[in-house]
Amino acid sequence: MAIAGKDRQDDWEVVYEGASGLMELYEADPESKGMNAIVKGFRNFTETLFTAQDEGRPIVWHNCGCSPELIRGIEGVQPMPIELLTVLQDLIGDVNYTVAAIDEAEAHGVAPEVCSIDKSAVGLVLKGLYPEPACGFYFNTPCDSQITAIKVLTELNNKPMRMMDVPYLSGDREARYLAKQFREAIPFLEEHTKRKFSWEKFREVCEESNRTAECLRDWNELRKHIPCPQVSKLVALNTALLVAFSGDPEGTEVAMAFRDEAKERIERGESAVAGGEIYRAVWYQDPVWWDLQFYDWMESELKLVIPMDLFGFYAAEALIDTSTPESMLEGLARKSLRVMPMSRQFKGPIDNYIDDYLLLCADYQADFGIFAGHVACKHGHGGIGLFREASREAGIPLLFFEFDMFDPRVTPIETIQEYISQFVEDVIRPRKEAA
Amino acid sequence: MGNKDVMDIFRNVITQPGNAYLDEWVASGKKVVGYYCSYIPEEIFSAAGLLPYRLRGAGSVDSSDGDAYMSARVCTFVRHTISLALRGELDFLDGVVLAQNCDHIRRAADIFKKKIKLPFYSFLSIPRIPKERLFDWYLEELKRLKAEVEAHYKVTVSGERLEEAIALHNATRQRVSSLYELRKKQAPPVTGEEALTITVAAHLMPRDTYNMLMDELLAGLATAGGVTKYRARVIITGGELDNPEYIAGIEQQGALSVAEAVCFGQRSFGGPVEDGAGDPLERIARHRFFQAPCARMVECFDEQIIALKDTMKEFQADGIIFQRMKFCDPWAGDGHNLYWRMRKEGIPFLGLEREYGVAASGQVGTRVQAFLEMIGK
Repeated sequence: MAIAGKDRQDDWEVVYEGASGLMELYEADPESKGMNAIVKGFRNFTETLFTAQDEGRPIVWHNCGCSPELIRGIEGVQPMPIELLTVLQDLIGDVNYTVAAIDEAEAHGVAPEVCSIDKSAVGLVLKGLYPEPACGFYFNTPCDSQITAIKVLTELNNKPMRMMDVPYLSGDREARYLAKQFREAIPFLEEHTKRKFSWEKFREVCEESNRTAECLRDWNELRKHIPCPQVSKLVALNTALLVAFSGDPEGTEVAMAFRDEAKERIERGESAVAGGEIYRAVWYQDPVWWDLQFYDWMESELKLVIPMDLFGFYAAEALIDTSTPESMLEGLARKSLRVMPMSRQFKGPIDNYIDDYLLLCADYQADFGIFAGHVACKHGHGGIGLFREASREAGIPLLFFEFDMFDPRVTPIETIQEYISQFVEDVIRPRKEAA
Repeated sequence: MGNKDVMDIFRNVITQPGNAYLDEWVASGKKVVGYYCSYIPEEIFSAAGLLPYRLRGAGSVDSSDGDAYMSARVCTFVRHTISLALRGELDFLDGVVLAQNCDHIRRAADIFKKKIKLPFYSFLSIPRIPKERLFDWYLEELKRLKAEVEAHYKVTVSGERLEEAIALHNATRQRVSSLYELRKKQAPPVTGEEALTITVAAHLMPRDTYNMLMDELLAGLATAGGVTKYRARVIITGGELDNPEYIAGIEQQGALSVAEAVCFGQRSFGGPVEDGAGDPLERIARHRFFQAPCARMVECFDEQIIALKDTMKEFQADGIIFQRMKFCDPWAGDGHNLYWRMRKEGIPFLGLEREYGVAASGQVGTRVQAFLEMIGK
């Protein structure tokens, strides 16, 4: 085990212990197959990262707009999302460490209105908590705040970086443009990792990525079932899976566990909500990652389930065609443009964002939508008027509130609970009763 | 016409969304097309017989219409421009050409398209990395824009028309450059507040008229007395700034702005588009794509620093005042990086955050005073 016996910083130990503790708690529980698999995946990722560091293998930083298959095309190179420790602390560690990292970044001069996950990334680098990269490989999506963090990190660590320019639209022309940039980035990655890119290895990675995709699509379908077979808190973890594990067999393991758990529970006639679900909502924008028990609360107290959210949605898009190098690059480009959550919905016209929402509400038979407005998400908030209008025209009641997806200080959980309880009580319950 | 008369004209031009020259242009049956950013070349509009009008929020008394569509998490510059458009105060526009300059403007584009619905709408996907490897994409985008303009307005934007447009806009650049040359003097003939007024006006009126007015102004300034009562010379940098009153507030404390490396300031102009052989559209594209980069651009921070330090040297500046619109993420990153670079190099640096249309407050005054004290001026 890479962590044990090493002089790691307390922050990483907290995450590792959190993962281990959760695994001990749930491992024997057949009801927690999906959650177990992703917690195990997180722990393994942590181990793999530090093993790479200990073995002196190159680490390439990337951001959450980047699906890491291209990096994995170089044998022995370890990709590391810059959001990693923040996500792990919020999900399975201790959110107070995230809060401290955010404060560290702000104290260093990063503006408060930059996204908390990006501020936290800066804070973690200032604290020296990330293994040093050979280089950075970034995408200019999903938002300006990511670009801000990348620019700050590059200034702080003075390491070479390459950014992929993800264009506004997502058609074939755009896919070719991005694929060309991928091809041109290979020599950059080879130069700074001092390792050779292998098309054969890249093919294996893309095939693995496709296997994961197939499981996630099936899983998306299974969650349409009424009642929703699986707990709400699992759904958003899809994004963490895609960012950390795309092209890694661990990702397929996790996706299979998500899928199989849903399938088995349907077969057993089980609902995510003990006593039966009454309400279904599509959660749009960002999840409450600093308190996953909040989702348990919605289910137990309100009989409300979230069958799908923006982060869980795996869009129906062709798999990566692995027949030629060019088809793989273009396939990966299409995935980056049309599948990766947030990048898909946010980078282009507002229609991408609204259409997916309306599609999810229809496919998952939602009683209402929840626009959980992460305060730093300017392009989400910037579209709120049009979003509301579209929701109104579609006859879907919409709850809007502001909070921060990684910083519990902005809107306390009790306040969020109050918003949702009141909305269900005052708007949704009478509406359902009248129907 | 004296300098004061020309300055009065420019002040009138920039105070409200519309102005007399714009009215005259529209009254003669000609069209006006709006845009937000200098990565959208004005030459294409001019070559098509259109008046390029750089969108801004001047004259907007409140942003409530924009707030309703965009929430209060979007910068006030964008919310005010959208408010003006939603209230019909930009109805002189026949179209807009927008881009994903930032997350805020990208959403403003959605509102222009879906709610304001001008006859002409085009959107460019402008690469965020000003490197040769992405230039072809940018050029393709400009070719697409040219084709869309030609189709909609039933005009031909020929090479000859583009050359004429280059000459017209180069003439403006040359005049702005002459103005900036004068500002290198120990006693510059204009303040920063006046200079920004002059450069903002360029974006809002027909260029041939502007160029003539500039000729008169420059002739007068060549022999005019200069500003001598100041404590320190500063460069004002950062993002969008089209409010000369904000600079006036800074200058009232004894700082003299000798160059504004901001949107609507020096950064909008740069040197001339190259003369000579080759496709004029490609020459325009090169000029814009490889202009002094702003914070939206990546993999070019060293170039930004070099340009800023060169400006400091040329204009004998004592320090840098950085201003950023609240909620602007691109400049939040560059503001952080600039602060630490300047600190490392021992260059005095003051960072200010502001809201659109608000003149420098007492708090800003206090901070500027403290800054001047800190640099021993």
